[in-house]
Formats: sequence, structure tokens, C-alpha cells
Amino acid sequence: MRGLYIHIPFCVRKCAYCDFYSLAGRQHLVPAYVDALLTEARSYAGLSFQTLYLGGGTPSLLGDRGLRRLLNGLHQVFDLSGLAEATIEVNPDSATTALLETARQKGFNRVSIGVQSLRDGELNSVGRVHNAAQALAALAQAKATGFASISADVIIGLPEQNWGTLHSTIGKLVHMGVQHISAYCLSLEPGTPLAADPPANLPDDDAQAELFHRACSFLESEGFVHYEISNFARPDHECQHNLNYWRGGAYLGLGPAAASHLNGRRFKDRDDLETYLRNPTGLVEDVEILNAEAKAAEEAMLRLRLLREGIDVRALATRFGRANTQGLTRRLREMAMRGCLVRDSTRYVLPADRVLVSNSAFAEVLGD
Amino acid sequence: MKNIRNFCIIAHIDHGKSTLADRILELTNVIHTVSKEPSLDSMDLERERGITIKAKAVRIPYYARNGQDYILNLIDTPGHVDFSYEVSRSLKACEGAILLVDASQGVEAQTIANTYLAIDAGLTIIPVINKIDLTNIMLDDCYLQLDEMLGIPSEDVLRVSGKLGTGVPELLEAIIERIPPPQGSPDEPLSCLIFDSAYDSYRGVLPHIRIFAGSVQRGDRIMLKSTGKVFEVDEVGYFSPDPVVGQKLGAGEVGYLTATIREAGDVHVGDTIISAKHPNTPAIPGFRHPQPMVYCGLYPVISNDYGKLTAALEKFQLNDSSIVYEKESSGALGYGYRVGFLGMLHMDITLERLKREYELMLIATMPSVVYKIITTKPEELYVDSPSKFPEPDRIDHIEEPIIRARVIVPMEFVGPCMELADSKRGSLIGMEHPDGKRVVLIYDFPLAEIITGYYDKLKSVSRGYASVSYDLMGYQPGDLVKVDILVKGTKVDALSYIAPRETASTRGRALIHKLRKLIPRHQFEVSLQAAIGKKVVAREDIVPIRKDVLAKCYGGDITRKRKLLEKQKEGKKLMKMVGQVEIPQEAFLSLLKLEE
Ligand SMILES: Nc1nc2c(ncn2[C@@H]2O[C@H](COP(=O)(O)OP(=O)(O)O)[C@@H](O)[C@H]2O)c(=O)[nH]1
Ligand code: SF4
Repeated sequence: MRGLYIHIPFCVRKCAYCDFYSLAGRQHLVPAYVDALLTEARSYAGLSFQTLYLGGGTPSLLGDRGLRRLLNGLHQVFDLSGLAEATIEVNPDSATTALLETARQKGFNRVSIGVQSLRDGELNSVGRVHNAAQALAALAQAKATGFASISADVIIGLPEQNWGTLHSTIGKLVHMGVQHISAYCLSLEPGTPLAADPPANLPDDDAQAELFHRACSFLESEGFVHYEISNFARPDHECQHNLNYWRGGAYLGLGPAAASHLNGRRFKDRDDLETYLRNPTGLVEDVEILNAEAKAAEEAMLRLRLLREGIDVRALATRFGRANTQGLTRRLREMAMRGCLVRDSTRYVLPADRVLVSNSAFAEVLGD
Repeated sequence: MKNIRNFCIIAHIDHGKSTLADRILELTNVIHTVSKEPSLDSMDLERERGITIKAKAVRIPYYARNGQDYILNLIDTPGHVDFSYEVSRSLKACEGAILLVDASQGVEAQTIANTYLAIDAGLTIIPVINKIDLTNIMLDDCYLQLDEMLGIPSEDVLRVSGKLGTGVPELLEAIIERIPPPQGSPDEPLSCLIFDSAYDSYRGVLPHIRIFAGSVQRGDRIMLKSTGKVFEVDEVGYFSPDPVVGQKLGAGEVGYLTATIREAGDVHVGDTIISAKHPNTPAIPGFRHPQPMVYCGLYPVISNDYGKLTAALEKFQLNDSSIVYEKESSGALGYGYRVGFLGMLHMDITLERLKREYELMLIATMPSVVYKIITTKPEELYVDSPSKFPEPDRIDHIEEPIIRARVIVPMEFVGPCMELADSKRGSLIGMEHPDGKRVVLIYDFPLAEIITGYYDKLKSVSRGYASVSYDLMGYQPGDLVKVDILVKGTKVDALSYIAPRETASTRGRALIHKLRKLIPRHQFEVSLQAAIGKKVVAREDIVPIRKDVLAKCYGGDITRKRKLLEKQKEGKKLMKMVGQVEIPQEAFLSLLKLEE
């Protein structure tokens, strides 16, 4: 299983909380950027992928023409015949009918919509460019276009948000028929305008936790499975591309700031659009090759995010060698004894009530 | 010998001692360029804190107006309140002292204390008012203060500007004229005073010495009077300001010697070096072993660093034989050392240097004085740590060390200074009014109160104008109790403290409150309690943390995620685990910062 991630680093405007690599007001660079992506892709020509994920930034800013050109190009360079899942992220304000239809035509079967909230006040307060009506329209259009899976992003902890408003947002999404919801807690990332000047009415960590736990119960009561810390899906609608990340799988990332994991090597392209346009294959940095023991621990750390699957130490031992998983197994056993993990024969998972306080468990699983 | 003059400079911090010393060294061509760093105190840290700990001596050749050549030995003295014994030993090596007073500041408490020491030691005082180039000076007040506080007539006072050099040539002449030459015969058996020491990894301990009688040279066999240990001299010399190897040092001279002395503990400031051939040569009076007044526990943050800490302390003691240490173990902190210091400032500086120079991450526990405990048996115990206190039912009563402090403070700050003294259990002994502008407050304080934030507080309530000196008076009974701190039900020995019964609970509450803010939230509830014996006097709970998770995966950037976790983990390593609770280092000193 190998995934292909493509980063589209354009946005209409930067949201106040956002520290993803994306630039506002550079949409005129889209054609050149598609060329650059295809150039970088050619340096990995012939690879086959089972999932594709177009993320950002705002991939819908590619427009239907950009998107078509990109996909045509990718089909020439890679073997995409075995593609089981192809996701495109769209923002409501640029998810035009033409774009969604082109996506569908080009093989995308999953769309992830940056809804964030269905309250105009909440959207406004963090500088999102769309409003609730646009979000609902985009959802309706996505449904009409015939995607097999529709996902919506929701932010927990927006200024002035309370369970009433969050409940109404999620409730409407469920009602509209989305099969997947990603619910992220708002965090103040250093360097963002939100962190520089946090509004007074921002729910604190405790309030966020409260909102999150309520959202979990609600979604579970609606038949969603809480399969990853921030992700909920109706059965069989889990995002395969992201699951592959958490399972320690291989993937190639194209574009500035995109990370890759190929042949056990992790690396990424530097986040520098300008240089990328000039030299799309020259930005690889942070190459990291871990030894088998560290690799096993890293994968365990990732798998801990999978609330159902968790870590199967027997499977890890088979893949990495018993000697390389002994320390890890001991740590997991100790953690289970202390109640930090739940153990079921060779499988370890996070306890449901510790999902939001899992950093220390991740760190401990990683070991020294 | 009649052309030798040994002197020191007594001055308050920042009154210009280093600047004046540099000017003297330049005028006499000992140093040529105007160096930015003053030549006498070499340690950065001391500069930052504005003090000199280690005394050194510089030999200065001087061609006087009377046409004769002289040798001046300028001996540096520590300026801080914790080092009065060291000061007394430096003074002992001199026949005269320049009393330097900043014309814009006036006479400060520590200066007076040190001047008294100098007068008692029989030194000739040359009073000098410095910084006369400044415009906002108060010459008349300075004259008045010198007269009233020290009985110095105005006509004796010289005026200089160390910065511009004004008056410095006259000062040099005054040194020749007023300070008597050293006495003592080169033909008598060797008698010399160790007034300081340094350590050199090749040559071992390097005592700084003043010779009172006889002479010493390479190959001589010498004896350290207090221990009777005998060494053979490898080298003698002096500093000017770099070390210069000499043939011989004779009576009246100041310099250093080396004798492959490996144990720092063999060389004590104030000890006498004599000739091994004349073991009955009497000791120079006034020697005493360093007497630590303040103790604290020192623990490595990472227990593997214990060996590193041991090595650091050993090495440190080579240059500063006044610190003492012994092994200690704490239920909460593991293995470490109980370290004794001359005073709070000495402790602060030593800790800073250990951390910086040895790159050690250390946890220092609350400083403690040495309590005298009379048990019901009865027997007398001297206890330097709350954790070593006997059970309450074995204690008949507790006595604590008392100091007498002289606080000099401008009139307008007398009120706040007295209030501060009240809050620190001070009892007013007397008041003096030397000049109509300033008041000398004489207080007795329990030393324990002085080591918990008194200086900083005094400086802040007097906007930096008050100064203080103190002497140890002895022990007095106090109504004291031990307060234990329990974290999630476990007693944390390193957080226990001794307090007067009447304020013990209030402090307990304040400390618990402070700890609640310092200790991070855990995945479970953490209760914090302060207890006197079995009685809980304060309690707060730290509610469990509800959110601590890395959210969105940034385009599959796992490496970044892992690094974030590792960083978080590094942060945790800086904490101490007590049971399942992580306690940050600051917590162990938080009692000091209660009032903030
Ligand atoms: N105006 C003036 N400033 C001086 C004089 N002597 C020293 N200073 C300044 O006073 C401060 C303290 O001087 P320093 O020699 O370091 O004092 P120490 O702490 O006694 O060694 C420095 O900023 C000096 O530049 C002087 O004669 N006139
Ligand atoms: S749309 Fe998404 S990527 Fe763009 S600025 Fe907003 S949060 Fe960031």
C-alpha cells in the first residue's frame, strides 16, 4: 500500500489560526505550479499508488482546468490503475460545480470540505473566507456530484463556540449525510495572528475538552466510529490515505512542505514555493533514516492514534524482529499496568477517556 | 623592607574600586592599555552580580616623588556581607587600607563594617572620596558621615576621580607617606599568612601569602600550621598582574607559592605557613575553619549526573575551600549533597557557577540554617536540614542562630525598612543618626529570616538605597515547628521547612498555593497538603489535565510530530518524579518566592 499526497499551497486569504504552508494571493502561479508538480512527479516516475490525496492549502483553487491538467499529467507519470481512494480537499467558496464535476470525472471518489463551522460568527472570528450558506451549498453540490464519501472538517474551540453551536454544526452535517467528520481542536500555533492576539472569548483547554467529549458521544450515538483521535467515520468510510499514515505505511508527498515516507526513509520538501517553482526536485531535506528499533517505536506511536486498531505487538515483532520490539513491548506492558493503555492479548489501545491527553503516552511509547 | 607598602581598598560595590585599581596600575605602568575589563576581579559572574569573591594581590613598582623606589602590594578584598572572615584575613595581610566612598552615594553599611575590621586590625586608613568628577555629588554629607560614623577628620580625606585619574598621583604619595612599612625580620623562622588560594590543575593549590617573618624559596620544606602537613616548595612568585616566578619571598612581601598541594582541604584561608624546621613557630592569630551558615540540598536533575556533580563539587572546593559538602539522599530527589555556604549570596553564586561551568542541571532545595535542637534526653544536636529533625516528641526545644544586622538607610525609607524587619521577626536593638539624612537601624534577626529573601526585599523597599552588614550573635530559643508537604499523599522531604509556629500555617497555605501553580496538571488528580505533625493545615488539589494531544497531521509530516514529542519529553526530564507526580525544579525553591 502506497499513498500519494499532493500539496496545493494556495489560499484566498490566510485564516487567523493557520500555520500550514500556504500563501495568500498567489493563485496566478497555479499553472506554473502544476508544471512544477509534474516535474517533481517525473523524478519518481513509474511508482504505483493505491490512494491519492490532494491537500493544502486550498486544492479547489486549482480550478477545473488546473485540476484536469494535473491529473492528466499524473496518470502519465504514475501507475494509478490500482487507485482505491482519491480525495480532494475543497473550501466552500471555491468548490464550484465545474470543479467538483471535473474531480469526479478524473477519478476522485472522496471529497473533504473545509466547513469548520456552520455559524457565520464563528467562521468570521477566525478569518475564514466562506460563510455557512456556502458550506451547505458545497455539501449539497458534492452530494449531487456523486462522491462515494463526503467528509467535513470541523473546528472545536472557536471563539464563542459552545455546545449549542457546535452541536448544531455537527448535527446539520450528519443530517446532510456526510460519512466522515474530522474534528480538530483549535490550537494557538506560534507565529499565527490568533496566537499573537488571542480573543478573550476563546474556550480554554478544559472547555475544548468538554466540547470534544460531547461531540464524540453525539457522533457515536449517530453511528460514527471514532477511529482516530480527530476522525469519525461511518463504517467503511475511514480515510484510507490517512490510515496509511498512522499504520506506518509508505507515501510520496509532492510540493513544498509535503512529507514522504519511502523505503523506510522520511524526508520532506522545504516549504519554499518560489524556489520550488524554479527547481521542483531540489528541495528535499530532513532526510531521516531510523534504525529498526526506533522505527518500530515510531510506528507504535503512530498506531496509538488508531483508537480501534491500536498496536499489535506480535505484528510489529514479526515485521521488525523480536529484538527490536522487546523494549517497546515492555514499555507497553508497564503502561497498561498503570492504566495508561488498555491491553487485549497482544493488542494495546488508548483508553477512551485518555484520547485528549495522549501526548505523554505517545512520548512514552517512543521511549528514550 | 622599609620600601614596601601593603594595602587594600575597602569599598561598597560600584563605588569604583576596580576602576581606581586600574588607574593605579596604569599610572605605575603595570598595565599599559586602558583595558575594558577591570584587572582585579576576573570572574564574569561576579561582575554580573557586582562583587568580587576571590581576593588576589598585585605587586606594583612605584617610583616616588622622593626619588625612591617602592613596592606596593594591592590586596583585593571581597566586598560582600557573607565574607567578613575572608575580609579580615585580607586585611591582616596589609598595613593600610584605602577607604573608598562614592561621592554621590555616601558611606554604606558594609563599608563601615569592613572599616571597623580594618581599624581593629590596626591598619592605617586613607579615606578617599571617589567620583568627584560627577555633578550630583554630596561632598559635605560624605565628610559628615565619615566623621560621625568612623571618626575620620575631614582634613585627612583625599578626593579622586578614578575614572579621570584626578588625585590618583597624590593618593599614591599618601600611600607611601601614611601607611607604615611592614615590620618583621627576615632572619626569624618563616611565618606567613594564607589570605587566599587558587587552584591550578598542574601545580595544585596555590596559596596567596603574606610573609610576616623569615623567607621562603624553592626547595624549602614548609608546614601548614593547622594540620601539621609538610610540603616542599616548588615555586614562589607574585602577580603583576600575571604571575611572575621569583627567587625568594621575604618578610613583608606578598606573593604565592606552590608545593604540589593536591588537596584543597589542606589549605585554609587564615592558616599560617611555617618552616618545617621550626614546627613550634606560633600561628598567626584569628584562624578559624570556614563556618557555613546556610545549607541546601543539591541534586542532579538527571540521576545519572550524580558522578558529574561529585566531580564538580570536588573541583569547586579546590578554589573555594569555604564550601563544605556531604552526601545526602532524599526520598523525593534521590542521591545528592548537602552543601554548606558562608551565606545566601555565596550560595547563589556557587549554584550559578556549578550550573554554568559544569553544565549541570541541578535542583537546589530550600536553604536552611543550622538549628540547635535540645532533645528530651537531653542532648544537643546541630541540624542543617529539616529532614534531619528528630520526631516532635523527642524535641524539648529548638534554638536558632541569631545575627545582629546594621542597616543603613536614608530617612525616607526607614518606615518600610522597619516594617520589613517586623515581618522578618527582627527585634530593634538601637538606632543611630550619623548625619541627619540617614539612619542606622540595629536589629537582631533569626538568620533563617535573612536567608529567605531579605536582601532583595530590603533593596526593593528602599529603592536600592539601604545597605546591610551582619555578625553572628549566637543561638536563641524559638517556638519553631516543622511543616511537611505531601504531594498525592506522599511526604516530599525536600519540601519540608521550619517556621515559627505562629506563621507556619499561613506559609503552608501560601506554599501549597504556589505549588499548585507550579506543578503541571496530570492525568489524575494531585492533592497538595501542608501538615504540622499529623495535622493538615492547608490543602489544594490540582485537577486532572483534560487536553494534551498533538492534533492535525501536517501533510504526513511524522518526523515533525515525533520531534515535538521529543521536545516535550526533554521538558519532562527536567522534572523530578515523586511517586507518579512530576515536580518541576522551581518548586523546590518556591518557599523563597512566596511573597512574589
Ligand atoms: N563618574 C565616575 N564614575 C566612576 C568613577 N569610578 C568608577 N566609576 C563608575 O562606577 C561604576 C562602578 O565602578 P567599578 O570600578 O566597577 O566599581 P567596583 O564595583 O567598586 O569595582 C562603573 O560604571 C564605573 O565606570 C569615577 O571616578 N567617576
Ligand atoms: S484555508 Fe486552510 S490552509 Fe488556507 S489558510 Fe485557511 S486553514 Fe490555512
